Amino acid sequence: MKLVVIGAHRERNDIEPLAAAIAVSDLWLSGMEVEESQPLGDRDLLLRVAKMRAALLDRATFVAIRYGFTAHGSEDAFAKCAAHLDRWRRVLNDFRDHVEMTLKVAAEAPRARPDRHDFESGAAYIRALHDATRATDVAPEFRKVVDETLAPLAVKHRWSNRDTASLEFAALVKRRDVAAINDAGSALKRDFPSVPFLLSGPWPLEVFADDHE
Amino acid sequence: MTDADEELSLLETLDHLLDRGVVIAGEAVVSIGDVDLLYLGLNVVLANVDAIIRTSQPKQIK
Repeated sequence: MKLVVIGAHRERNDIEPLAAAIAVSDLWLSGMEVEESQPLGDRDLLLRVAKMRAALLDRATFVAIRYGFTAHGSEDAFAKCAAHLDRWRRVLNDFRDHVEMTLKVAAEAPRARPDRHDFESGAAYIRALHDATRATDVAPEFRKVVDETLAPLAVKHRWSNRDTASLEFAALVKRRDVAAINDAGSALKRDFPSVPFLLSGPWPLEVFADDHE
Repeated sequence: MTDADEELSLLETLDHLLDRGVVIAGEAVVSIGDVDLLYLGLNVVLANVDAIIRTSQPKQIK
């Protein structure tokens, strides 16, 4: 059996009996036990893990581990996660009552994605793709309102370029402020009916799990 | 919730599951059929180019 790891948690009680728990130092990893031969690309497994992830977040905030990481018991998990434990401990203590919300916004004028065939080297292609992604922006008036209405509700927030067609606003918010974020999203929908965007969450610590100092 | 809303919600959930969160170095076995051809100790991330770019600094990809 192997454990498809979902997240890192502060308390064992945050995990059981919803999911399997294994100790890594003084923290805990949650996950779903599957047969060793179980392919991780299996659609039903993905959906079950996604459902379990949501149930765990209802219980308590945790650091999200990207799908695909598996472990075989505490010793194996500790060997693979040791470098992360100090940071995880800090964010889990500091953001115990926080969750993330994300706002994906379609670009005002989507940039054409570079064609690999137009470049002699892979490095040049990657540079062009990076430039196109970085140049993507949303309507300035929309971004301004997001900065004025959603950002103040967040403990931390960040705009990031995800691809050549959209930007993402990620916010770390207190759980009690999730409703206010959703209300601000409804106001955006009303005030900017022509701007395609998607406000979603709550999510576990994803964007802000890696940059805590 | 409409069918379109449910589909959007599912896609968003899977996007977060597959493309967010802390990446842990791991290992992989590359197989064809039932034959294991390669065992890889991974300290690199298997990801699409867009995801790599989002987490890279420009100077690192020159």
